[in-house]
Amino acid sequence: MSESSKSKLSLKLNPSPTLQCKNLHEYLKSRTPQFLETLYNYPTICLAVYRELPELARHFVIRLLFVEQPVPQAVVASWVSQTHAKEQSKACEALSELSVWQEAPIPGGLPGWMLAQSFKKNLKVALLGGGRPWSMSSSLEPDGKARDIAFLDAYALERWECVLHYMVGSAQTEGISADAVRILLHAGLMTRDAEDGSAVITKAGFQFLLLSTAKQVWLFLQHYLHTAEKRSLSAAECLAFLYQLSFSTLGKDYSTEGMSNNMLVFLQHLREFGLVYQRKRKAGRFYPTRLALNITCVSDAAGPGPLLSAGQARGHLVLETNYRVYAYTHSSLQVALLGLFTELLYRFPNLVVGVLTRESVRQALRGGITADQIIHYLEQHSHPQMLKSESGGIRATSVLPPTVVDQIRLWEAERNRFTYTEGVVYNQFLSQADFTALRDYARAAGVLTWQSERTRTALVTRAGHDDVKRFWKRYNKT
Amino acid sequence: MTDKLADDDGPSDSSLLVIIVDTNPNQRYITEDPKVLTGCLDAVIAFANSHLMQKSRNLLAVIGCHFHKSEYLYPSPGKPLDVRQIDGQYELFTLVEKTIKMRLVNLIKSQPLEEKPGESLLAGALAMALCFIARMRREATPGLRMSSRILIVTGSTDTAAQYINYMNVFFTAQKQQVLIDVCSLDKHLSLLQQGCDITGGLYLKVPSLEGLLQYLLWVFLPEASERKELVLPGRGRVDYRAACFCHRELLTIGYVCSVCLSVFCKFSPICTTCHTVFKIGGPLPIKPKKKKMKV
Repeated sequence: MSESSKSKLSLKLNPSPTLQCKNLHEYLKSRTPQFLETLYNYPTICLAVYRELPELARHFVIRLLFVEQPVPQAVVASWVSQTHAKEQSKACEALSELSVWQEAPIPGGLPGWMLAQSFKKNLKVALLGGGRPWSMSSSLEPDGKARDIAFLDAYALERWECVLHYMVGSAQTEGISADAVRILLHAGLMTRDAEDGSAVITKAGFQFLLLSTAKQVWLFLQHYLHTAEKRSLSAAECLAFLYQLSFSTLGKDYSTEGMSNNMLVFLQHLREFGLVYQRKRKAGRFYPTRLALNITCVSDAAGPGPLLSAGQARGHLVLETNYRVYAYTHSSLQVALLGLFTELLYRFPNLVVGVLTRESVRQALRGGITADQIIHYLEQHSHPQMLKSESGGIRATSVLPPTVVDQIRLWEAERNRFTYTEGVVYNQFLSQADFTALRDYARAAGVLTWQSERTRTALVTRAGHDDVKRFWKRYNKT
Repeated sequence: MTDKLADDDGPSDSSLLVIIVDTNPNQRYITEDPKVLTGCLDAVIAFANSHLMQKSRNLLAVIGCHFHKSEYLYPSPGKPLDVRQIDGQYELFTLVEKTIKMRLVNLIKSQPLEEKPGESLLAGALAMALCFIARMRREATPGLRMSSRILIVTGSTDTAAQYINYMNVFFTAQKQQVLIDVCSLDKHLSLLQQGCDITGGLYLKVPSLEGLLQYLLWVFLPEASERKELVLPGRGRVDYRAACFCHRELLTIGYVCSVCLSVFCKFSPICTTCHTVFKIGGPLPIKPKKKKMKV
């Protein structure tokens, strides 16, 4: 007569792993303060970090930039109006996390803030000049075979698509090195097949493909930096060089003179992914491409922006309220991506027509892709015509038809109808009184999850089980 | 068809700042010590670069305003200068600094020598700035939210000679949702203050020229959406006196044309703007009462 069949339910609440794309802020937050300290010796990184800060924090930094002694925390707080105290504390937190400023006592005994010395010095250098020039800017003879921006864009696009094509396994394996494959494997975007050892794409890999190009590049480089130390490259040095690239001018050539051997190796890797263009390995000069310039824009989650060249930034997707998707593309990669979550209907030389159905979206969801990722992908690649067609001057949050967006979210929500809670079932009570006593006790203790009087069944949470069991024993004795 | 204007509440993706620098040699602070201009210019350049530092998509234009003409100091028309890094400064910032300095020298050299310096052509420069903003909006990628504002840095004195031009520019700016900020280096400028008030910008008369960069960074660097969060100098009282169309003097009470709303300090029988003829003043003739008809 008592508590019997204990049944444990699975604790896994959300089994599908989602791909984490950290921005620079999060990446740096996970590093040690010592690492940050070395990073802040590079003006480029200071500049990049500054741009990643929350709006208010940026103003704090610029106001403190020319102040030599610590500033009382109360004074900093008084810069912000009372109604925005929350933003203010968030800004302060961000600055402390990245050790951009430190707490410093003021002679009067008040707590104060002071910018980190190296950060302050190098941000000033970046803004106002002074210090040493960045490594790649020694002067060059004019290039006889100078490349224009259109060429660089095409080159970058071709190189990067090569990596993506390799991922979707479009059979073409040439043009991608063992190093790149190793990074893809390390990042968990691809995995070795159990049988023949060939690399196959993972669920995370599919999610990777749906990200914007800038995010893809940044995620890829993050993993590159992780593996960099194994190849005796210094992550700080690489990161500084990357940001140096990102602050360079498109269509201009830069010199490799004075670069260390390690950096030359790094440059060759970047060349392989299309972040820089070099005519010959020993050309002595290189051109950064748009992929490299975009690294800083990752956090600007501004949706469709002038992220890539005119040719590519121009999206190709038109989504209509009847769930039809028209894709003006001939790239098999784009079609494959679209096929992940749409049912393709027709295919023409430059146009693919598909329809979003419950089945096709659910299939994508089962594959670990989230509704947000689908929506974001559609938004990112919207055809300019969609961006222009504003509904009567009312600015919607999204350019996509709201019905479709909502429906995709609903399709995702309907898969999450269950919430799993671990618990213990109490049933087979001999009398109603016994059941009521136990149920009331559990309810009073706040550990009752569910009960049914008719079947005399009560469900108690795992944490409350011991307590209820003890009560039951006591109750039985009396 | 309107372009996408940045909405007031949301933060924008990109912010366009047009700075108008008054370089007229007859400003008091320049006549007293010409070297101060270099200091002020350095402060303005550092401020411009700080604006570009905020976001990678921020845009900048600088217009030099002289007594004979106004000209873009940055970006330079045509091909940009070929600049290589000389020190640790960000390449773009070096380009901004070099371009502004070079083009300003050209502007000052081009001033006619025989002419006596007159008033700065601020209203014209403002119109140029509005045109520039309109062009950038037209060329912006669809879907990009861009907020724009104009900052005037001037040490000229307040005159009402350009009153009508000013008002036209102010109301255009208001309609285009462009903020006009004014940083006065010398005298209080009531006309430009009106412009700030109309467009929702900020007006500040700096107490001393030494800390100019700090004043600029503190007050004028935050863009419209960020200004609500920060404690900034308030509006204060705005002098809303209009200038008369005949002598350009500021009036508290005047005559207004009932047709075109022109303001005059003296009564004239014909409106000089719209040529409406007014009846000579005097008591209106009393209409003779109609005799009641007896039936």
